[in-house]
Amino acid sequence: MKRVNQHPTESANPTGRTYWRSHGELHDTPEFRGYLEREFPAGAAEMQGDELSRRSFLGLMGASLALAGFGLSGCRRPESNFVPFAKSVEWQIPGELLHYATAMPRRGATMPLVVATTDGRPIKVEGNPLHPASGGGTDAFAQASILDLYDPDRSRSFLFQGKPSSKEKFAAWVKELRTAAAADRGASLAFLVGDSNSPTRARLQAEVAKQFPSATWCVWDVFSDQNEREAAKAVFGNEKVRVHPKFGAADVVLALDCDFLDEDEGGLEASRDFMAKRRVGKAEDSMNRLYVVENRYTITGGIADHRLRAPAGQIGAVAVALAKAMVDAGVGALQDILSVVPATELKKFEQSSPWITEAAKDLAANAGKAVVLVGPHQPGWVHALGWAINQALGGFGKTVVTAESGSAAATSLADLVKKIESGAIKTLVISGWNPVYAAPSDLKFAEAIKKVATVVHLGSHVDETGALATWHVPAAHYLESWGDGLAEDGSYVGTQPMILPLHGGLSELEVIAHVTGREKIDGPALIQETFKSYNKNADEATAWNAFLREGYVAGSAPAASTAAYNGGAAKSFVQTNFKSTPVPTADAFEVVLIPDYSVYDGRYANNGWMQEMPDPITKLTWDNAVLMNMAMAKKLGVKTSDISENFAKTKELQPRDGQGTGVWGDIVEISVGGRKIQAGVIVSPGHADHSVSIALGYGRKAGGKIATKNTSGEAVGWDAYPLRTTAEPYVVSGAKITRLADAKPHLFATTQQYFHMEGRALVRELPIETYKHHAGFDEHGKSFVQKFGMDSHIPPAADIYTNPPLNGIHKWGMAIDLNTCTGCNACVVACQAENNIPIVGKEQVRRGRVMHWIRMDRYYSTIDDKDADPQVLMQPVTCHHCESAPCETVCPVNATIHTEEGLNSMAYNRCIGTRYCANNCPYKVRRFNYFDYNQRPLDQLVWGPFAEKGMEETLKLAKNPNVTVRMRGVMEKCTFCVQRIEEAKIKQLRVARDSNNVKVPTDSFKVACQQVCPTEAIVFGDLNDPKSKVVAMKKQDRDYRMLEYLNIKPRLSYQARLRNPNAKMPGAAKVGMTSDFPHGDSH
Amino acid sequence: MANIFPKWTNALPLKVLVGAMVTVTALAGGVTYYFTPKYTRAGYMPSQPVPFSHAIHVNQVGLDCRYCHSHVERAAHSNIPTSQTCMNCHTQIKATSPRLEVVRKSYETNTPINWVRIHKAPDYVYFNHSAHVNRGVSCVSCHGKVNEMAVVWHDQPQSMSWCLDCHRAPENHLRPVEYVTNLNWKAEDIGKQQVAMGKDLKTAWNVQPPLTCNGCHR
Repeated sequence: MKRVNQHPTESANPTGRTYWRSHGELHDTPEFRGYLEREFPAGAAEMQGDELSRRSFLGLMGASLALAGFGLSGCRRPESNFVPFAKSVEWQIPGELLHYATAMPRRGATMPLVVATTDGRPIKVEGNPLHPASGGGTDAFAQASILDLYDPDRSRSFLFQGKPSSKEKFAAWVKELRTAAAADRGASLAFLVGDSNSPTRARLQAEVAKQFPSATWCVWDVFSDQNEREAAKAVFGNEKVRVHPKFGAADVVLALDCDFLDEDEGGLEASRDFMAKRRVGKAEDSMNRLYVVENRYTITGGIADHRLRAPAGQIGAVAVALAKAMVDAGVGALQDILSVVPATELKKFEQSSPWITEAAKDLAANAGKAVVLVGPHQPGWVHALGWAINQALGGFGKTVVTAESGSAAATSLADLVKKIESGAIKTLVISGWNPVYAAPSDLKFAEAIKKVATVVHLGSHVDETGALATWHVPAAHYLESWGDGLAEDGSYVGTQPMILPLHGGLSELEVIAHVTGREKIDGPALIQETFKSYNKNADEATAWNAFLREGYVAGSAPAASTAAYNGGAAKSFVQTNFKSTPVPTADAFEVVLIPDYSVYDGRYANNGWMQEMPDPITKLTWDNAVLMNMAMAKKLGVKTSDISENFAKTKELQPRDGQGTGVWGDIVEISVGGRKIQAGVIVSPGHADHSVSIALGYGRKAGGKIATKNTSGEAVGWDAYPLRTTAEPYVVSGAKITRLADAKPHLFATTQQYFHMEGRALVRELPIETYKHHAGFDEHGKSFVQKFGMDSHIPPAADIYTNPPLNGIHKWGMAIDLNTCTGCNACVVACQAENNIPIVGKEQVRRGRVMHWIRMDRYYSTIDDKDADPQVLMQPVTCHHCESAPCETVCPVNATIHTEEGLNSMAYNRCIGTRYCANNCPYKVRRFNYFDYNQRPLDQLVWGPFAEKGMEETLKLAKNPNVTVRMRGVMEKCTFCVQRIEEAKIKQLRVARDSNNVKVPTDSFKVACQQVCPTEAIVFGDLNDPKSKVVAMKKQDRDYRMLEYLNIKPRLSYQARLRNPNAKMPGAAKVGMTSDFPHGDSH
Repeated sequence: MANIFPKWTNALPLKVLVGAMVTVTALAGGVTYYFTPKYTRAGYMPSQPVPFSHAIHVNQVGLDCRYCHSHVERAAHSNIPTSQTCMNCHTQIKATSPRLEVVRKSYETNTPINWVRIHKAPDYVYFNHSAHVNRGVSCVSCHGKVNEMAVVWHDQPQSMSWCLDCHRAPENHLRPVEYVTNLNWKAEDIGKQQVAMGKDLKTAWNVQPPLTCNGCHR
């Protein structure tokens, strides 16, 4: 019997509820329609429009093939060699992975890691599962750091005045320096270092201070905890005290401009603890509630149950209004600190008062179980006020704890520049990241260091700072050097090298140690000295080995600080430091300078994986942009092709056929106090009014090919640092924004518009109360969630044809809990690292050829089209490994077939590149290698066989030898990490030997995306094993399969997202209500 | 009118047909033999930098394969021994033999020996030694009687169809794991028939060699 799949038509949508991924989609612009009509983006089948047509290409290829025939050499394969070590190496088994515990130094805290090496080269970073600060999880930056190690643009030699020099000459110079510095007690010597909590560096710093008492030690980083430090000094009497949230004890969380699920607070442990309180396994479970106040959408805002848009400069005013509302709600203790705040400030946020009042009531009602977080970029007085609120809520010791983990104060960059200007500094050693590029613009750092006779730059690249330095010293990567640091919880963690410095560089510790007079540093000697003070074990050698094996000293985390909150001190601190920021207006915008999800402050800008990783919110790759909401864009007359009809009508903007589609955005000029930048605009829903954001770290002039130039030869984004000053490092107020009518709009490459799925209840969410009301399964074994959208009336499943039985020993399957996924992209980059996925460059991204095996879908949802407050949902989508896979039936060469254990596998060698499978995949998760992305330079892709061939030598080292590096013309997609599955099965065979114990033990291995996930949202395992976690996940009534009605039986299922709205909040009725609930059940 | 076609042309179509058939058969036969690993790989016997004889070390001295190929039971790759492994014995035995000069020099100067590679699976094939030798597949099944080779040659074609022959019918090669490195061993030695014993082992050990692509290609 013929069965026709009734795809739902794009409904008239009487309720107005929609999920949308881009403005183009929401507004159904002609450009977007045209885009959708093609399976692959326009011109995907063409080579390059006019330069080289397919026909002429075939002609050329034919000729070159004919020529090749004449030169056909012998058929015997060439002789190759085995080169075993001359002497056996301990632990080393050729071809097998060897893991080392190490740690990645980061600003703030060091991240404990375990790194896999193969034949002596590190290839994959994982979290250290033994350490609570990682718990086995990592983030995208840690994942991508492996590529930094093998970056072909890393500086490869010592440079003196721009000319190649050597380590020996540098060492000789350091000797001279020591003699000179000894003469004036170091008065002419200055260090400019990054923010680090390495105890060894602190020890070396002390030695420098002892030998050269007058030397200047300046600690500077773009993003710092300076504000918090000042407030802590006053309120706790100790600048090192930091207040950390304990999400395990918090039922209500209010985040004021604090992206704590990303970098802002508490690291991965905070994400995990917070999400543990949102994990719902059964209907009786409860969830915490998250309120977020922020100016732009962050991933934390996406998780929020209630979100208030407020300019970043007004967060203080919101905090004041919140405190006032809490006083009204009965928290009298806050009255005292509010008495020092001017009355005008108390009234400022009246227009949002219902939101703030109800949130305050909720916090007050949950005293002892509530926590308020203030973002690190907010001024000190807001931090003090936040602590006052936590104190009034009885949070200290329960939901927040104090710990001494911050770094000590040092000379500020401004003071260093003053000293330089005065001519006192003759030698400046810079190991902090790129101050010439990133220092506040009012300091004019690039001008200042010209007054220094000798500037030493320690850096991984000859960047903006390196170009101006007298000495450039190549920096050793953290995987090449010994080091140490403190993890988020303050415990002592070690960094150990896995490979000798590829380019003979030095680490920061080594350079400082040289200056202290150590001429030769013997491996871990520096760290071993520091280790002694943390070691409690009498047998030092054993303890040291344990430290190297486990990566940290167990029990070295300091006990909670005894520093107590001092209400009086907080009050006077707020009184002296209170500063009201005027509410931004159309004439005086505020510009928020934000850290970027891809490049942070710019230090990861030469990392192709990070550049190509779509921003979690804007889905922008290879660029930054001025972000503003639709109303502001209209007010400023700014147009972008996704919101404005016929934007690209003018001919020169029409992408030529074969140029793919991107988003055109107008260029604006932002000027404030004589400082000006120009940048392109992207409209970002959910942005605060009269507030725009721009990510820092782009528009680099030096520092590597990827950082400075995209594949079309344009600059990568715009440099926003000129707007940044010492006084306004984060929020720049009073900015004037004008549209540059004459400037050619910029074409952005976003991944948000393609692979559109037509709103078929792909992503599902519901309020927890609705979920509880409908918990369980009906008489057909279906739960409420399983009947959303089309799935409410699926005809009885009837298979058109029979498949071979899937009767393997194991049955692999995956579950993704949308309720705990933050959309942080760690899985996307982990997958890229594990599976040798190439980057394709901006132009190819625009054509929809991005190769990521995991696509992180970001949905905005609104009940009403006009709603300026959309909610955000994230959904990672990868190959579903359907049991009746549509891709398999259309492959003419059997290149994609099913294994008996249920994997939809790709045999790359069989693939002839028809792309039928991608056309027939309902999830759009197949990726085609259009060009030899692995083998050709990305700016020469279209040259075909005439392009340079071959991978950079260092990049070859980064490849995972257990995964095939795919060539051009081959389809690829998620394999469920088949290499890890096979490895686990073979490991079990070794155990089994002559027994039948061949079943892989329950949950004994993890796939790459599962392993990296800090919130454990991805679960993979054996569906035949009733004890496995994945079986438990799939049994839940929140479990649903995407496009169930197609009856293709995917092995990947999702657990619906839950929201926990407070019924009294304004807009509560629409929270989590956008999904297409089962018919006749619209509440 | 004269006959255009002389009489001998009557047999021509048949001759052409037979000729064509012979040519095609020869061509097909030639391609299937000479263009496949049966010819291109099997029999490859390069000379090595050190005149090492497996025959002496295994059959005369009685070394087990795993003394030198020490990781074969734990790793995908069966390692070629380091010079240090050679010197374990050769510091005592034949310590001055000129035939061992290369090994001594390698050990003293810590420079590796470039052995010539004989068996090479393509990059996209992920063969795992440990999965085979731990489960009763003997070295001899893939490498031939190395214990009798003075100079090692490529014994089996090691083509994909050759792999699959065994993956489809492992009973032809399975043996008790304790005899895996005994290359002269026969099922008859313990009074059994190979196929019958192989079938029993296959059931008892739950041997399910992968037949899907992902078994070897990742």
